[in-house]
Amino acid sequence: MTAEALTGLVFLPLLAACAVAALPGRLGGGFVLAGLAPLPLCLIVLTGAVVDTGTVSLAIAGFASPLGIEWFVDPLALILLWLNTVIALVVGLYAARDYPPHSARGGRFWALWLLLTSAMNALLLSADLFNLFVTLELVTVAAIGLLVIDGKPAALRAGMRYLVLALLGSLFYLLGVALIYGQAGTLDLYQAGERLGPELLPVTALVLMTVGLLVKSAVFPLHSWLPAAHGNAPGPVSAVLSAMVVKVSIYLIWRLWLWLAADWQPDWALPMLGLLGAGAILYGSVLAFLQVRLKMMVAYSTVAQLGYLMLLFPLFGPLGFTAATYHLLSHGLAKAAMFLAVSNILAVMGTDRLDRLGGADRRLPLDTLTLALAGVSILGLPPSGGFVSKWLMLQAAWAIEGWGWLIVILAGGLLAAAYLFRPLAVLCARPATARPADDVRAPSPAGLRWGGIVALMLALAALVAGLAPAPVLTLLEGGLPPGARP
Amino acid sequence: MSHAEVWVVAAAAVFGIGLYSLLIAAHLLRQLIAIKVMGSAIFLVLVVAAGPIDGALDGLPKALVLTGIVIAISAIAFALALLVRLAEVTGSTSLEDDADDDR
Amino acid sequence: MNLLIDVLIAIGLVVLAWQALVGGSLFRGIVMFIVFGLTMALAWARLGSPDLAMAEAAIGAGVTGALLMIAYWRLRALGASRPTPRSRLRARLALGVGVLSSVLVAMIGLAAVEAIGPGGEAGQALAAALPATGLGNPITGVLVIFRNLDTLLEVAVLLAAYVASRAALGDDKAALPLPPAQDAPLVGALVAVLAPLTVLVAIYLLKAGSQLPGGAFQAGAVLAAGGVLLMLAGRLHPAPLCGLGLRIALVAGTVVFSGVGIIMLALGQPLLAVPGTWAVYLIETAMMVSIGATLVLLFAGSAGLSGKALR
Repeated sequence: MTAEALTGLVFLPLLAACAVAALPGRLGGGFVLAGLAPLPLCLIVLTGAVVDTGTVSLAIAGFASPLGIEWFVDPLALILLWLNTVIALVVGLYAARDYPPHSARGGRFWALWLLLTSAMNALLLSADLFNLFVTLELVTVAAIGLLVIDGKPAALRAGMRYLVLALLGSLFYLLGVALIYGQAGTLDLYQAGERLGPELLPVTALVLMTVGLLVKSAVFPLHSWLPAAHGNAPGPVSAVLSAMVVKVSIYLIWRLWLWLAADWQPDWALPMLGLLGAGAILYGSVLAFLQVRLKMMVAYSTVAQLGYLMLLFPLFGPLGFTAATYHLLSHGLAKAAMFLAVSNILAVMGTDRLDRLGGADRRLPLDTLTLALAGVSILGLPPSGGFVSKWLMLQAAWAIEGWGWLIVILAGGLLAAAYLFRPLAVLCARPATARPADDVRAPSPAGLRWGGIVALMLALAALVAGLAPAPVLTLLEGGLPPGARP
Repeated sequence: MSHAEVWVVAAAAVFGIGLYSLLIAAHLLRQLIAIKVMGSAIFLVLVVAAGPIDGALDGLPKALVLTGIVIAISAIAFALALLVRLAEVTGSTSLEDDADDDR
Repeated sequence: MNLLIDVLIAIGLVVLAWQALVGGSLFRGIVMFIVFGLTMALAWARLGSPDLAMAEAAIGAGVTGALLMIAYWRLRALGASRPTPRSRLRARLALGVGVLSSVLVAMIGLAAVEAIGPGGEAGQALAAALPATGLGNPITGVLVIFRNLDTLLEVAVLLAAYVASRAALGDDKAALPLPPAQDAPLVGALVAVLAPLTVLVAIYLLKAGSQLPGGAFQAGAVLAAGGVLLMLAGRLHPAPLCGLGLRIALVAGTVVFSGVGIIMLALGQPLLAVPGTWAVYLIETAMMVSIGATLVLLFAGSAGLSGKALR
């Protein structure tokens, strides 16, 4: 059953994308449903297998590495697969309002959405460095296709910049792969780690690959493309870009340094990566505070929150690992909720400029609530998922007496409070003069409420993640990276 | 056995020229060509830096390069469509004259 | 003597890259890029990879060149503004970065070549496993059998590029403009000969690919080149809608490849196992059709194609 479940995760959305592309029209909605709805079932089967045996692997076409490509699932990959599937499904429910699958534009949207889902699942499964390159390219093309689908000039410009930088990043990644293959004679991530050592060439290769991935994941100081892209994409696309697309590249950086190079990463590497994270947290938070547009504020908040994922490196250990993974999970849910709520606000108010949103809470009580609840998780207040991860992260910093990292984590929390409180205060303010927004073409009240409920569901999920973190944490403790095992 | 060093040096020079051009070229079309040319340089390194097997070059990286060539043309084709649309909507062929995007 | 030829080609690559990327008009740059691609093909031939030489000439230089040319023509037709050149400081900085990166890549690359071991494990496993497949061409073996997930996902990238291009162009842009067809007297006769010939060459390349250099990619590129030719000669037109046949052609590669792989799984074999040489041909034919159709559509910049000779 496991092989079928793994196959389903990649091939159901892939074939559904082909069906939507080849047979657009009335059947579109059915294809989309067939491509996405069974994925949780696949994941339940897979979760059972991972809980039983710890890890699951599959040699594609029956050829094991080094000759063939292998899929490999451990608890970390499993949790990301769940997050990707939940985001694809739930945000998809929201997107169905703006992009009906039977329309021409909707057909393109869903074909790309399904391709993106399939590509990210394939990426999370793959243990092969070159196969990862192929999946990264598929992710990039599909994601940027979705970004520009409304043809807004700002989105086109942001998409073009994103594409040029992502392609440049791929080149650096590929150069690293070339060096690894030359030295190790295998492309399997785990095998290559065993064949190599802390010599100059393998380390250089890892640095090159990391630079490429840092560009793709917009980690400070290579973040310049992200705010414009995430701030100008259509709402559901912003949600999936921030919740998943940039994270999978950071996930690969984790795999490179904590798995591939587990036994031989040089001393300077992990603190260096952590410094980038600290820079991201401070810089991203300050810029988020300075934004005049709500959606850009949320986008800069992503720049800041990605920094916490990089703090895994200096805080490396069982605590640090579970903390960072939990942060990835809860931030994914909360940020998706935020982007969807902002998208609703944008649709009703006709603008997301903070100085013109006064009193929006009365017209959009649900979305204001979602924004506040998601903010609780991003801030890291109890009882949210964000609290669990920040608390664990603080403990990890305390345990290694990393006072500098401790200060950065606390400062990031305070800054987040500042930049998240401001829009809430504005939304709930009572403006002296009412500003009627007549020219706004708002979606129907029913569609709007539907979108609001979907966003609220995600925000609640991020909160609930804080109430019952035990299953996920136990699962993760069963699949620690090699260097963190007792 | 071929003269691996010759190809590596050439690939390095081509890579550097590509990066230089990517940084100074203002026109997006030129930047896309630069990316394509840098890609070719990396493919060359991929094939040459792998060890020889029975006196011939390893076949596996060649297959990878073939895959890479098709991926490169896919990405460039999409980028060109995006560029033409961008030029049509904004009249610009460069990322340089970015106005601050405000709704 | 051999070394001299290699050195000459290598110098040619560097000079052509410079010509294509630095200074001069953009049009000249595109032409130089095409010559660079052809020189890369020569390099691959010198490195004992005729498969790559063919692919680079057909896809890297040929179809990419055609795509660049048509984009250049469209940008001019749109009257898009020319960007202002970069500042001198930036140019100096870029020069530094370029030189530095060259030196670094050369050092890394030379060290890598120096440290080369007795050949990759994966490559040796490939040489050992190939005879059992009945294929003579190791590259086809890797692409269709041993590492076929790469190939499958790569065809998906091509599909994604088409859908994403349509997404970028939007509904109101059913088709991008094409230059007017050349109605010179000999074009008709030439096309009448060349069009069937490209199909013939493509089929030969596909069939040869199992034993000799060639395969679905090269064959698909040749088909695409034929399509581009027909379009430039005014025999094939962009159409605002994509017909059913064409839509099926677009996804055929992904669907057939996945279909065979999933059926094998259902039969108790590993996922994506390839049951025999006939399946190799089936998969490669579907991929060739998809690659050819997608590349022609990407060149046309349209949703579909129409074959009517008269408008």
